[in-house]
Parts: sequence; C-alpha cells; structure tokens
Amino acid sequence: MDIYLPIAEVSVNAPLIVALGLLVGFISGLFGIGGGFLMTPMLVFLGVPPAVAVASMAVHVAGSSASSVAAYGRQRAVDGRMGAVLAAGGIVGAVAGVELFRWLRLLGQADLVVALSYLVFLSVIGALMLSESLGAVLRRRRGQPPPPRRERRPPWLYGLPLKMRFPRSRLYISVIPPLALGGFVGVLSAIMGVGGGFILVPAMVYVLRMPASVVVGTSLLQIIVTSALTGVLQAGRNQAVDIVLATLLLVGGVLGAQFGARASARFRAEELRVVLALIVLAVGLRMGLGLLMAPVEPFVLMAGAAG
Amino acid sequence: MMAEPPPVVSAALTETTVQVSSDFKGARIVLYGAVFEAGDGPEDVVVIVRGPDQPVRIARKQRVAGLWLNSRPVVFRGAPGFYMAASNRPLDQIATFGTLRRLGAGVDHLPINAPAEQRVETRYGIRDMVVSRLGSDYYAWRRAVVRLKTRAGLYDEDGQGVRFVDRGLFRAEIALPAAAPTGVYQADILLFRDGQAVSRRARTLTVEKVGLERTLYVWAHDRPWSYGLACVAFALTVGWAASAAFRRD
Repeated sequence: MDIYLPIAEVSVNAPLIVALGLLVGFISGLFGIGGGFLMTPMLVFLGVPPAVAVASMAVHVAGSSASSVAAYGRQRAVDGRMGAVLAAGGIVGAVAGVELFRWLRLLGQADLVVALSYLVFLSVIGALMLSESLGAVLRRRRGQPPPPRRERRPPWLYGLPLKMRFPRSRLYISVIPPLALGGFVGVLSAIMGVGGGFILVPAMVYVLRMPASVVVGTSLLQIIVTSALTGVLQAGRNQAVDIVLATLLLVGGVLGAQFGARASARFRAEELRVVLALIVLAVGLRMGLGLLMAPVEPFVLMAGAAG
Repeated sequence: MMAEPPPVVSAALTETTVQVSSDFKGARIVLYGAVFEAGDGPEDVVVIVRGPDQPVRIARKQRVAGLWLNSRPVVFRGAPGFYMAASNRPLDQIATFGTLRRLGAGVDHLPINAPAEQRVETRYGIRDMVVSRLGSDYYAWRRAVVRLKTRAGLYDEDGQGVRFVDRGLFRAEIALPAAAPTGVYQADILLFRDGQAVSRRARTLTVEKVGLERTLYVWAHDRPWSYGLACVAFALTVGWAASAAFRRD
C-alpha cells in the first residue's frame, strides 16, 4: 500500500515505513538510544529527500522521546536542573544548527557535511564503545574484576567559573561544560536528524561524571526540548517537515520501543553494547564510503528551489 | 483550380485534471486526436507535454584531498518540471535538427541554460558574444541535467508514443510519475508534413493536490510556524499517550 507524502512529494510504501519505525524503535528500546542515526540514512535510501528526512526525524524524535521520558520521570530518574541547563544549550544549538543547515543547502554542501558528520562522529563513538564493551566482556569471561572507576573528575571541570549545584546528580560544577555539550548536540540534531543521545549519554557519564541512574532520563529531557524546537524551526524556516512521514514512523517507533525495552532485560549490558557499537560503526562507515569512492554519476541534482 | 486546404490536427485529453491524493502513484494521461484533410505525403504527429518550469540546481562531484565533494551548484533556468515528447516515429526521422531545435521538441532541444554563468564580452573582435563560465564543459552540464531528470522519470522521449489507430485518428499515452510537480501542464500537438510543422494545437492539464494532501501542503507553506507547532504538539501527544497506554504499573 503506497502512500503519497505531501511535503516530500514522493510516494512511499506505508507498511515498509511503519516496519522501519518498528525495527528502529525496537533497537532504540533495546539499547536505550534514540535511533535517529539509523533511521535518517534509511529514509534517504528509500528516496525521501535528505532535507525532509532530517526535518521530519526531529518531530519523530520529539514524540518517541516523550514516550520514554514519562517512564523515567515516574521512577524519579531525571535531574531536572541539569536537564534545564543542557536544554538551554540545546536551544541555542538548534537555532544555530537550523540556520547553518539552511546556509549549507544554499552552498550545495549540505550532503557533504551530513556525510562527514556521520563518518566522523559515528566512527569515533562506535570505536570507543567497541573497545570499552569488548574489554568488559573479555574481563568477565576471564573472571577478572572490573577496573576501579576513576573518581577523579577532569580538573578543568572545576577550574571554570559560574558554578552551580546539581543535588540530584551530586555535582557542584561550572555550567559551561553542560551548556556547551547541550549546544553541540543541538547543532547535530539539526544537521544529522538525530536526537544526539549517542554523544550526550557517554559525555554525561565520562566527562560530567553524573550518576548512571539519572543519565538516560536527563538526556531524554534535553533531547525532547531540543528536537521539539528543531522540528518547529525546520518547519518554519525550511518547510521541510512531513507530518505524514513523521506519524508513520511514530506509530512503528513507539510500538517497537516497548518490545525493545522488554527484550533488553534478557541480554547482558556489555554484550548489547558490543552489538550497538558494531551497528554504529557500520552506519558511520557506510555513510562515509560515498566520500571516498569514485562516483558512478559525476553530477547530482540538488533538491529545493533554486536561489 | 482550388488550392488544397491545409491539413489540420485536432486533439483532446480524456481527463483534464490529475488529482494527487494520498494513494497517488503516478498517472497515465491519454490523448486522442485526428488529422483532417490528410494528404498522401508522410504525416507525423508529435505530442509534447511540459510541466511548469522549475529551475534546476546541479553540482558536480570533484575530488579534493582524496574526498569526493560537490562543486558549487549551477542553476539552469527554463527547465520544465516534467517533459515528455511522444511521436509516431523517432523525432530525428521526422524533422531536421534545426527544426526540432526551433520548436524545442525533444529532450536534446530543451531551451535550458544557466544565465548566472554567462557573461557578454568581446571575443575575436566580435562584440556581445555570450560566453559561459563553465567553458567547454557547458554541454556536459546540460546533458547531465537531462540525464538525471530522465533517470527520475521526469523527462523522456518515446518514438512510438503516438499510434495511429485508424486513418487520421491517433492516440497518445503519457506516463506521469509520482514525483511529477503540481501545476498547469501544457500539451502541444504538432502535425508535421515533409519535415515541417504545419499545424499545432495546445491543450492544458492541471495536476493538483486534493484532500488532506492539499490541506497539509498549503498549511505547511502558507503558515509554516503554526504548522510546525502543531506537528510537534501532535508528536509529543502521541508519544505521551503511548507511554500511558503501555504503562506497566
């Protein structure tokens, strides 16, 4: 059953899009990530114009994060103050990111920057996750104890001004690192069509040293605010949000996330992280491959009206 | 002795509107026509369907420091959003290159150019010569526009798209892909005798979005901010409702 997307102006197979939403939702529930980095490339592969895919994903990410954050909120696993600081950075980042994306499209370099961002960020994060999780799996197989967690935080976190107390995270740090982190993730969400959890979560654990119990819920709070704003901006500035596409993805994604969250209880956390690291690496390399291989067709048509 | 009346072509579309709704997968436009006062010389019919003009932005992949990057995009004007030339035999057998070029008949003869890349200068002592900044690559760029549009199903030529079903009566069928732009299309029906266009008829066709598709499209383009707010509010509500529905405690 094909359905015509009014903004993307292409006809897509509706059950296929819902199934894609289910699959990515399942993966996101399983690993506790947003899954935007998987969905956006697949949509582009199915023929959705990249700008529409990126913009509609922002709306989809807002909806799917809303469905997860409620559960974390009930478990009181959200640091509201830290979430607000991250989101404030995210708001600045999203505004800057949407304008940057608009400018890159005018220059004809949007595809390049999207591909490069995927290649760089996914490869680096994937490689780091893989080495960390493989190490953990090997240690457990050999019966070694986990290495002692370094409690010392990076000294520059304390040298910065504008300190603030975050009681729920048991932190007293400068607001500059979380603001910068939120802003950076906001830019990525506008350019890559992702929530940014794959960068936010590791940074909150390893750099800010927040307690693991509040990391996911707090990152979801930031992602909701940032992606909701990105969605509105993408619609207002670029007219690129396709609500039919976002709704189809949301139906599949919300259902898939529930099954994924239930399935995740059956697997060991380190082994899940090995699989996730491999998926992240594969997507990053696949997106970057186009930059390295000689193109079959040397010309490309650019979407959108000519300036 | 009376002069022989000129041959005349006449045609009609079976449908004058194509409606784009949620199940739109493309359409087939059927056109019937007749040639009156058919003489004994060879007569050919060419049907050209053009969509509304859409400037084309195109870039070329260039190797920079080992990476394949897009060049600065070039804008071509005068390119129709859809173009199909159907005829009863291949165009190059019907008329000469010059005649086809003058009529803009055939994908190789579309009057597209890149004005932003052109400048007028004096060369070889000749004043007001039009020179393209793209240099000798200009035709490679132009051919690429046609090639990529053809691959997307938006441009085509069909040397057997017009069939004579009876003496003087012909039928043409044109495939409109789902990606075809909305707007007013013009169908030109040309009658050729001995390689010259002797008669011409024009018909218009409207491709329009209807129903929910139209409502959303108009909303998203006329009031983009309220559309964006509504989209996000809707997504947040769906997400929140789903989490309430699946709540396990």
